[in-house]
Amino acid sequence: MTGPRRPPSRLVSLLGVLAVALLLIGLLQVANLMRHPMPDDMPPVPELDADAADPRTEIDCPDPPQEAADDETRAATPPLVTSNELLDCPRSWDGQTIRYRGEAVGAVLQRADGAWVQLNDDIYAQTRGPLPTHRDYAGGNAGLGAFIPLELAERIGRVGGPRFRGDVLEIEGQFRRVDGERREAAVIVAHTGIVAGEGRPIEDPVLPERRVIALVLVLLAAATVTGERLVATRR
Amino acid sequence: MLFRPDLDDFRLLGRFTGKVVYGVGVVMALHAPVAFVLGESNAGYAFLIGASVALIAGAGSQVALRAHGRLTATHALATVGLVWLVVPFFGAVPLLLSGHYAYPVDAYFEAMSGFATIGLTLANDLDHMARSVNLWRHVMHFLGGQGIVIVVLTIFATTSGAIGSLYTGEGRPERILPNIIHTARFILRVLALYASLGIPALWLALVRTGWDPLPGLFHALTLFSTAFHTAGFAPMSASAAVYRSPLVEAVLVVLMLAGAFSFALHYQLWQGRRHELTRNLETRTLAFTLLGIFVVLAVGLARTGAYTSFGELFRIGFFQTVSAHTTSGLATVPTRLFVTEWGVLAPAMIVTAMALGGMAGSTAGGIKAIRVGLLLKGLRRDIRTVLLPEDAVVVERYHSTTVRILRDEQVRGAATILLLYIILYLGGGMLGLFYGYELQLALFESTAAGATGGLSVGLVRPDLELSLKVVYIAQMLVGRLEFVAVFALAGYLISIVRGRT
Repeated sequence: MTGPRRPPSRLVSLLGVLAVALLLIGLLQVANLMRHPMPDDMPPVPELDADAADPRTEIDCPDPPQEAADDETRAATPPLVTSNELLDCPRSWDGQTIRYRGEAVGAVLQRADGAWVQLNDDIYAQTRGPLPTHRDYAGGNAGLGAFIPLELAERIGRVGGPRFRGDVLEIEGQFRRVDGERREAAVIVAHTGIVAGEGRPIEDPVLPERRVIALVLVLLAAATVTGERLVATRR
Repeated sequence: MLFRPDLDDFRLLGRFTGKVVYGVGVVMALHAPVAFVLGESNAGYAFLIGASVALIAGAGSQVALRAHGRLTATHALATVGLVWLVVPFFGAVPLLLSGHYAYPVDAYFEAMSGFATIGLTLANDLDHMARSVNLWRHVMHFLGGQGIVIVVLTIFATTSGAIGSLYTGEGRPERILPNIIHTARFILRVLALYASLGIPALWLALVRTGWDPLPGLFHALTLFSTAFHTAGFAPMSASAAVYRSPLVEAVLVVLMLAGAFSFALHYQLWQGRRHELTRNLETRTLAFTLLGIFVVLAVGLARTGAYTSFGELFRIGFFQTVSAHTTSGLATVPTRLFVTEWGVLAPAMIVTAMALGGMAGSTAGGIKAIRVGLLLKGLRRDIRTVLLPEDAVVVERYHSTTVRILRDEQVRGAATILLLYIILYLGGGMLGLFYGYELQLALFESTAAGATGGLSVGLVRPDLELSLKVVYIAQMLVGRLEFVAVFALAGYLISIVRGRT
């Protein structure tokens, strides 16, 4: 800050700062308009239970069942539970036989006596399908690790990832708050299961408007950079 | 007295910020071919759009903003603050276009979290995100972890004079070498060394645990970036739990600790001075707090009966302690268990570990071990002063590359920063309380944002209140830059209104 100072007026300075801020916010707003459209043929989904993901919601954990459960209880079909229920009340569900349904994602990690797989049971896995093919945002993924029998692991055709919606498995097994055998926490050790839904490629066709905008901007950027180089050389 | 900035001041700030935006645009453009090769065309066009806008803004600013003045220390600090505010807008464009973010502010939040190496995420359905976009999240960790301004200007600038004063603004307290370009290049050499060892080690561990080689390579690259930059994004929503491998976890622990070491310490080790590991005040403090926190955390977990054997407790507890203390934010268990299974003491230790952070001049955030060490030394000196005869001269020494004498201003400086961090953590926590979240949860998340800790117990989610998103963004920025650069930028804004001509 040397030499005679000629600062612009306060109003001009503030308007300049405001203009830059609006330009930057505008940049994201314009980008927002170029996102994937919501498909017209997508049926409406049921209202999401917003409370389920809200940490302010009070959790009412079920009582752990008595050890001497009668034969009738044991013979009944195990309850179908979600990862949120299990993680909210790990002690209530510890050691219980449960049913769990989720999309296999990532990789199937084979071991000598079974295989590890991450099973997501969120809306993307269960009903709506993966992003970015729609705009039903339901937060991050929810799921649990499961140790499944090798024969079930071999039947998995696709695991979910950037290009595929993975097979949906329905497993029956024990939820273990701590799996001492494998030194893992909060996992399901399945003794049986089926592939309840086959995975498929994620359809993400090229968005033509985006392509045109990208190509126009690339040309503009090339021109600006070339111009800047020329000016810099002359200086 | 505050002087109102003149046009030349604004031009200088805009010009340097433009240079960095230009550099980030070039890095973003490199992701487009990656996306097309992977068959992710829409992501490829998204990168072209984001990169083009950044290049137009960056190159345009170089033409339009000709400044005659010299970059002073105040300019430099304000520039750093401005760069860190502006660059995430450009970084957010491909994120928003990926279709995984519900609102523009979420994409900006994610970009700030990426650049500031926080790791808190608002991504929806991360497990189906395009690989190129996921890679960009981790490249932001690299750029931010090393210091966006320094990385970009070291690569693109030809002279070192202008960037000397920018260096300290990005949370780096001391130069390792007299020449700033040499310092920055040394830092990149350290990164290259750890990358050449860490990425193959992670890849081999992942393949051994059952991952196919190509996806394994992607995970190794992204995990390395997260662990060494003590960041927090993971390529999958289940974080490090998805690997089910003690070997992967062991490599990650080594990389997280290496990332939490200051580059000055790396330089000393590079020079063969291994004794720095045992004599340096900062390494001693870090070792002391790390082990202390782990012991208390283990007691907390043992009291709740969360784990049934020491093996499980050690594997999970030690990893989480290292992850929190180095402000990395990786998790080997679902973090919901911190609330429902870990009781009160163990999560409190995770918050403490995040709050303290790693070493000054590293990629880690938080209060920093050197400040904790200096405060403890100062406390010891004060106690000795009270206990010894009145005419005794009490001198406290500490080792940090050389033996130094503890000075009052150092203790005062450390105490000031400590106080500012506590205000930062409590400020975000108070707002969380205002919205009805429990104290533990609000404080956990606020500390994670302010200390660049990145672990989350579920408050940070797409339907989080807008004002909390904005406050967490501010905390991330302030925590990463350690206050000064943000204060300088705020001072600039105040001087527009109140400064004299």
